[in-house]
Amino acid sequence: MGMAVTSIRDASRRNVLQGWYPKRSSMVSFLSVAAFFILWQVAPELGWVNGRFTSQPSQVFLAGIDVVLHDNFFYHARISLTELALGFALALAVSIPLGVLLGTSQTARYLIDPPLMALYIAPTLVLLPILVVWLGIGMASKVAIVFLGALFPIVVNTMAGMREVDSKLIRAARSFGASKFDIFIQILIPGSLPSILTGIRLAVGRAVLGVVVGELFVSQAGIGHQLNTYGSSMRIDRLLVYALVVSAFGYALTAAVRAIEAHVRTWRPE
Amino acid sequence: MAGIEIRNLRIEYRIPNGEELFTAVNDVSLSVREGEFVSIVGSSGCGKSTLLLSVAGLVKVARGSIAIDERIVTGPGPDRAVVFQDASLLPWRTVLGNVRFGLEMQRWTGGDYTERAMSMIRLVGLGRFADYHPHQLSGGMRQRANIARALAVDPEVLLMDEPFGALDAQTREIMGEELLRIWEKNKKTALFVTHDIDEAIFLSDKIVVMGRNPGHIKEVIEVDLPRPRKPEILDTPRFTEFRRRLRAHLAADMAGMHLVEEVA
Repeated sequence: MGMAVTSIRDASRRNVLQGWYPKRSSMVSFLSVAAFFILWQVAPELGWVNGRFTSQPSQVFLAGIDVVLHDNFFYHARISLTELALGFALALAVSIPLGVLLGTSQTARYLIDPPLMALYIAPTLVLLPILVVWLGIGMASKVAIVFLGALFPIVVNTMAGMREVDSKLIRAARSFGASKFDIFIQILIPGSLPSILTGIRLAVGRAVLGVVVGELFVSQAGIGHQLNTYGSSMRIDRLLVYALVVSAFGYALTAAVRAIEAHVRTWRPE
Repeated sequence: MAGIEIRNLRIEYRIPNGEELFTAVNDVSLSVREGEFVSIVGSSGCGKSTLLLSVAGLVKVARGSIAIDERIVTGPGPDRAVVFQDASLLPWRTVLGNVRFGLEMQRWTGGDYTERAMSMIRLVGLGRFADYHPHQLSGGMRQRANIARALAVDPEVLLMDEPFGALDAQTREIMGEELLRIWEKNKKTALFVTHDIDEAIFLSDKIVVMGRNPGHIKEVIEVDLPRPRKPEILDTPRFTEFRRRLRAHLAADMAGMHLVEEVA
């Protein structure tokens, strides 16, 4: 009896301890963020830094409300989102079939692999000036830069995924009389899905970067255009609001793809 | 059910990135009677797996022929099913999904896929694990699932390529017993590749001993031990005699290999 009571008490103490550790870690990160905001808020007021260059959290918060209410925020966001969505959709439509082709056909690989790798490694943003010359300063040049930025990570990862599918699985499928189409649908696609999603996740980052940089470079509207406007007019508070929107959006999108990846990978022990 | 008739078989491989042809199997003739359990043993590189895969229709034949019940083999077919070594289950499918896989590929017309698959899963003793993914199972359980997948399509000939090769000795022995228990139920014609001598004697009606350079048949030994067999049979004098004969063969082969390496 006595022993049983002790063990229950031990167990509850262990639970308390186990509950404590994650709380402590989140507490530490919360405190560090809070300390940063407090420092940021008081530093200009104490004259440690020039508030004209750093702004303050309270000002950024107010600017955020101001931007949403009076700055055509949704108009600019819609422009940027449209460019992103169009460019990304085009990239998906081209890159996955291309990756599949390269992953399954050696001839195609010999033909396109070297230029593909060169383009994958080179930042596609270097093409921005020429795209503007070709397509103008409107949405088309941004769609094109998003397309180019997103294309290569997906192509390369789809190709790698197709090639890395275990040949033993293909042999097993063939032994049951699977056709080439069966093997493609039942083995190659599910087998390379994690790689394809990794490619898409990398592409999301490049696509968001492409839109913003494209608009920063030359544009008439969009989030990047607003960033440029407030940068050159020294409105640090508003600039930070837009910067925050971009990073939150990019983070959310990447996290969403990561969640799908985690779901798909349940069958694969890490 | 059907027997297997192999005549003057020759299998060649083109060495990757080379023009040279490598002869894996040369002039092999073998007949397996309907309902017979035949093992193929031999040291590594003797072409035993290649021989089995050619019966499965997965390897191109250079010369000679393979026939299942008078039908010449030109590729995989529903009359045969293969149990591979390990890791040939689809990792993204559950046990049930994997056992259904063969039925789906063959567009099986014998009834409900899930019902058929479940009955095979229960037969191999995995009833409680139908919803598990392969990575959640032990090696022995994965091979049970592999066997269920092959049996589900109700083949006339069961081909097994070192199915227990990746298992530890103890699991291996249990799986051998299990395989016999399942096989005794319907006595399908079975071709079984292994490098484990005891396993071969315990399971087989006939053992084919293969040699290397190029792969050829050295001897065919009839194993006339009574069935059904229990593990106790491993300690009988007759079993020991078979073991001695097979060991002598493989030892000679290994000695020859040593010589070749020294010359080279």
